[in-house]
Amino acid sequence: MGVFEAILISLFVYLGSIGSIVGNTLGWYNLGRPLVAAFVVGLIMRNVPLALELGLLLQLAYLGSVTPGGAVAWDLSYASYIGVAGALAFTSDVETAKNLVWVFAVLGGGIGVAMWNLSYALNIFLNRIAQKGAEEGDTKKMGLANVVGGQAIGFVLRFVPALVVLLTISITGDSTNLVEYIPNWLMQGLQIFGGMMAALGMGILLSFLVKRKIHFAVFMVGFVLIGYFGGMISVLGVAVIATIVAAIYYTVNSKKEGVPA
Amino acid sequence: MSEKKLSKKTLKKVWWTWFFWNGCSQQAESMLGMAVAHAMAPAIEELYGDSKEETSAALKRHLTLFNTEQQVGALCPGVFCALEEQRANGLVNDETISAVKVALIGPTSAIGDSLWVATIIPILLTIAMAITRSAGDFGWLGPLLYMILYPVATAFLSNYMFRLGYKGGLESISQFMASGKLELITESVTILGLIVVGALTASFVAVPLPIQIRSGAGDNNVLVDFDVLVNNIFPQLLPLLLTMLVYFLVGKKKWSPIKVMGLILVIAAVLTALGYLFKVYS
Repeated sequence: MGVFEAILISLFVYLGSIGSIVGNTLGWYNLGRPLVAAFVVGLIMRNVPLALELGLLLQLAYLGSVTPGGAVAWDLSYASYIGVAGALAFTSDVETAKNLVWVFAVLGGGIGVAMWNLSYALNIFLNRIAQKGAEEGDTKKMGLANVVGGQAIGFVLRFVPALVVLLTISITGDSTNLVEYIPNWLMQGLQIFGGMMAALGMGILLSFLVKRKIHFAVFMVGFVLIGYFGGMISVLGVAVIATIVAAIYYTVNSKKEGVPA
Repeated sequence: MSEKKLSKKTLKKVWWTWFFWNGCSQQAESMLGMAVAHAMAPAIEELYGDSKEETSAALKRHLTLFNTEQQVGALCPGVFCALEEQRANGLVNDETISAVKVALIGPTSAIGDSLWVATIIPILLTIAMAITRSAGDFGWLGPLLYMILYPVATAFLSNYMFRLGYKGGLESISQFMASGKLELITESVTILGLIVVGALTASFVAVPLPIQIRSGAGDNNVLVDFDVLVNNIFPQLLPLLLTMLVYFLVGKKKWSPIKVMGLILVIAAVLTALGYLFKVYS
């Protein structure tokens, strides 16, 4: 990873964060998702297949990481971009990269949370500008406070720290072979940790989706289909079955209740 | 005095401003207050542009504390536009506007978070992941599909909700909510999500049980491999138990995800140690 790549990736860390200039629909919920972030990093660092392997891993672990009520458990944009870029900077071996990605994702996520809290506090000053604008009846000051001020703070707090971290990774990656220094037992432990992290995403997601006890049975349908028949059916195949089941459920019940479908 | 009506152009401007910049200046004091005032600025200019006092009062009305899920919640600026228009025509007073704003926070946040953010996004990502997982060299189709599909679908939804809020008024919105159709849609999407999450859990969560009993010291002849044994009794039992544990800790015990991550790290360390103890790893 060179300086140009580091700058480009840092730019995406900013674009994928909450409240960037492109909006949350294109930013946080899109460029900030691990699978998309990994694809972008893969394109920039010219290793899309490996980046996607890492993206799958992170996306599963963080699938339940949404932001109800604006409470950010971790900054996905930071964790994903720094995680994937960090792993790719040190190795091109799939298994090693899958273990290393956690080290950098946790590092990135930690910095991200600190920056989010900082911006949350600093943005209060913008409210003074907006209040003053309201006092004067100046509608132009709303955009000034919301977008110009918000982006100035957001950009500095996302782009700059990300660039510092990535440049450090880049310099270390060129001069040392980090992988040689990691003992076997640590690699083994990271691999087990990585496999278990997917349960985090799934468990959190279940806490949103499960509203009644019967929902556990519905969950088990998908689980058992793969558990027992995994050799014959893929996750995509189960998704097709699930769509059919949902469509039938909707149609049957909308007729029953007399709601026009 | 002729009746005041917001032009199509102004309404479009309000929606675009909201769609792109609804999360730009979040803070603890007024949450999305500045974003609402910014989005409403074009409407306020058109309705009260000839009076500085009215403009100032309107801006202050919308700079107050406000929060919602910003995508489904595009309904809210739509409702605000309708209310301000009625106010400019003397049909609604300030207190009503403030009361409606506060009343909208809860339901729009809840519906947006549970339907769009916690259901539609994970399901779309799940399908994207399934494609990446199954498509081999064309794995990039997964993220690419999500990158196009998600923003386009959300833009349509957001625009629809905004127009619903403006045109429908509060009555038709509460009618729609009471009709049961929303619950039915949510339940159908939940069923879809639950089945796919079940498949993902069985497919991707990995918990090894590195315990083996060997026939003698220094002997490599494995008598009982507990990992194989457990999976023969019930495939992927340990991943299921771990996922249920996470569900229990986050959903029932209200643990933070970071805390759960710490617990997973501890369990992973214990399993690694067990593996070395039983010489499964070397």
